[in-house]
Amino acid sequence: MNLVNFAYGLLLLLAAFVFQTTLTGINRKVVARLQRRRGPKFYQQFIDIFKALSKGSTTHGWVFDFGVIMALGGIMATAIFIPFGPLKAVPGMDNIFIIAYVLAVGMLGMAMSASGSGNPWASIGVSRALTNMLAYDIPFMMVVFGLIFAFDSSSLSGLAAIQREGGLLGWNVLRFPLGGIVAMISLQGMLGKKPFDSFIAPAEIASGPMVEYGGRHLGMLFLLHEYSTFIEVSLIVHLFFGGGATVLEFMVKYAVIYTFLNLVSNVLPRFKIDQAVTFFYKVPLAMAVVQTFLIIFLGMGVA
Amino acid sequence: MTFDIVVILMFLGAFSAYLISKASLKAGAYATTVFSLGALAVLLMGRSEIGSEFSVLFMNFEVTVIGWYFSGVMVLVYAMTSFFNSFWMDKMMYPGSYNFLYLFSLAGTLGLFFASDLITLFIFWEVVVWSSTFIIPMGKSRRAAVVYYTISSIGSMATLYGIMLVYRISGTLVIQEAFVPLKEDPLTATVVFVIFVMAGLTKIGIFPFHIWLPLAHGSAPHTFSPVLSGGLVKMGAFIAYMSVAILPAYEAFEGSLKIMGIPLQLYFLMILGAISIVLGTLMAIKQEDAKKLIAYSSVANGGYILIGILMMDQLSFAGSMMHLFNHAIASAAAFLAIAVVAYRTGTTKISELGGMIHRMPLTYLTYLIAIISLAGIPPMGGFVSKWLIIQGLADRGLMFMALAAFFGSIGSFLYVFRPLAAVFLGQLKPEHEHLKSEPLMMKIPMVILMVLILYFGVLPKWLLGIIGEIQVAAGIEPVMMSGNTILAVNGVLNTLNVFMIFGFGFLISLIIFLLMQKSRRVGLMDTYTSAEFIYTPELYHYAGAFYAPFERLYQNHPSVEKFLGAIAWKFHELGTVVNALFFSHKPAVTVFWTSVILVMITLGGAGI
Repeated sequence: MNLVNFAYGLLLLLAAFVFQTTLTGINRKVVARLQRRRGPKFYQQFIDIFKALSKGSTTHGWVFDFGVIMALGGIMATAIFIPFGPLKAVPGMDNIFIIAYVLAVGMLGMAMSASGSGNPWASIGVSRALTNMLAYDIPFMMVVFGLIFAFDSSSLSGLAAIQREGGLLGWNVLRFPLGGIVAMISLQGMLGKKPFDSFIAPAEIASGPMVEYGGRHLGMLFLLHEYSTFIEVSLIVHLFFGGGATVLEFMVKYAVIYTFLNLVSNVLPRFKIDQAVTFFYKVPLAMAVVQTFLIIFLGMGVA
Repeated sequence: MTFDIVVILMFLGAFSAYLISKASLKAGAYATTVFSLGALAVLLMGRSEIGSEFSVLFMNFEVTVIGWYFSGVMVLVYAMTSFFNSFWMDKMMYPGSYNFLYLFSLAGTLGLFFASDLITLFIFWEVVVWSSTFIIPMGKSRRAAVVYYTISSIGSMATLYGIMLVYRISGTLVIQEAFVPLKEDPLTATVVFVIFVMAGLTKIGIFPFHIWLPLAHGSAPHTFSPVLSGGLVKMGAFIAYMSVAILPAYEAFEGSLKIMGIPLQLYFLMILGAISIVLGTLMAIKQEDAKKLIAYSSVANGGYILIGILMMDQLSFAGSMMHLFNHAIASAAAFLAIAVVAYRTGTTKISELGGMIHRMPLTYLTYLIAIISLAGIPPMGGFVSKWLIIQGLADRGLMFMALAAFFGSIGSFLYVFRPLAAVFLGQLKPEHEHLKSEPLMMKIPMVILMVLILYFGVLPKWLLGIIGEIQVAAGIEPVMMSGNTILAVNGVLNTLNVFMIFGFGFLISLIIFLLMQKSRRVGLMDTYTSAEFIYTPELYHYAGAFYAPFERLYQNHPSVEKFLGAIAWKFHELGTVVNALFFSHKPAVTVFWTSVILVMITLGGAGI
């Protein structure tokens, strides 16, 4: 690894930011149309982020600041590991377990900063967010485990390349439909979209972890949100939809999946946190275990 | 020659620490530090003497790679914790004995790891059990010591029967030779294996023998909990290793039924390991006491270690050996951080604390780094070892173990975060407003442990090199590394790159933060309160029942404690019945039984 990798990493971060933020803006428009509103301009999300960053803010001590820096730093580092279509900033580092755990650095930073504010709403939000994570991550990891066993590779780009060899029918979402459904449901949980958004629930717990933030802190958390969305959706695109042979192919797949989940989110109500856990352990986990069982013991879907 | 001196010196050191304590308690406590640091230095310098043999009296020792590795881990934990001893001297009932037993148990573990015959092994096993049994009641509760001793004696008795059985079959007590004839006899091998491994399970705290951990770790003196969790628990891993590697289990069980290439006997134990992971995680999540919480996390981590050892392969076994070290130092660091809090505030109850970061930032940092490693998040050591274990599981396709491993890893985010949020962050209580920072002598071990946790997470090469030697000695393929890249079957991990990219992300984030407008500092009570006026920080702190909605989902869980309690109660009832029937004070009962006996004698006599 040398300086060139870091330069590529920086470019990748910029590209991911512009792409995901534009997409968020477009999605705000789409959702508005769904609700029969005109909706904001498609670049409104950029305006929001830069405005927040430029405003003054209050802080509750060094851990409040440090947590935000650690969170954004961790998430940006994770984003660098993600292949953007065929492009990779650092070769050989897109191991799915590395990504899953580096992602946790960001989560921990955010949780730490939120609790550091001394506001109990924030701690309640964090406790819900972590419980949510325990619910959605296990079915997802289980399916991923099956994939790794099936293809003897835990590299994102490697798994994507294997799928592309089989054309459209080679996509894992078609080879392992149960796993594909589990992954989509888990992705909805990862993104914190309805029905799994009880940890931000603005009306109940005052936006949970976000309650104390303003100014540059909030702007950085907006950035964090865009990057974590980028990471999570990219994971699914690479693992189940064949990744992208070209950047354009990757971006189209990504946009379609993201918009689809957003539309689903906007017609659903919210689960209570224990309902979310029960749901994930009853339906997706069972499906994930069946899928993994089929892969490991029967070799079903493995070419 | 160095190792026999170290074992003897540790025993002499134990006695001299006692004598020094008679003169000055503080000096006695510092003696434990000096002796354990000395032992650590000798172990590190004596690495070239691995393979040497020596005898003391009738006991025979041999320094193997694994024995050296285990004793290194153990002595490191003992040495780091011993810095804390001097602060608790005036709080203990028998401080001199504490210093003595502290070093005595350390000497016992050293002897155990170097033992080359089974009797020596057993003697030192007992030395450790007995000395720790007497330290535990110096903390909060005597009952904990009773439970600890009961469970430990199950292990001791199992070892003793195992040794006798092996001796009957092979006629020798030398560890390397005693198990050889067992390979031909799978049935006896199974019995010996189960007996020995049971001794290991009692010490690691694998389900259903986990009940002593939370009790003993939670109520032992604050300075002994890190040793129990980081050190003594690992003795069980050593016994488990012996039963799998030296027996060797995979050869002896060649003919038995196999699931995914794992013999049924081992698979069953792996399931116990998986249960321990899930159970330890769920119980840790709902604990209200910080020490009990970390104790349950030791149960969960013991599960990972056991599964890895039982795999006996290139990846998971290496991961397990590394996890043993990582868990030892991380758990010791977490316990020490809680000990500092307990030293200053006098409590370890999560809901009675809060905002400690504003009074002891270094302790907070230690706890943070320790839990990042415990939860297996990069760039700390715990990540590398968990990654290796999971890669190994994925290679073999052991899906149910993997399910437990995933649950344990994500669940650990929940429980490790709880003390972080409720003890160190959140509102500082008014009565803690004037607390002093941690004393210098406490800072030293915490900083050392922090550096070690981070170092072996970024550059694990040295550690994995030793583990590779252990694997070669055990006859399996060693873990492969090229440069700083760990090469697994299904993927590679370059820890240095992970660290550098993480640092890069952090740097960009820091630059963004610094470029923007400076923030205004406000107090902890100056927050959004839903338009209420709040003046009581202690009530404005979310600490108790942190994961209430999740805990409710399994509040009526079955438990081993309840089951054993029910058995104890039934036994008590039986006793009452026996008492009422045979040992009553009423004359009528005596007359009744006398006549019954007389009748029986008469009838019996008539029969003859």
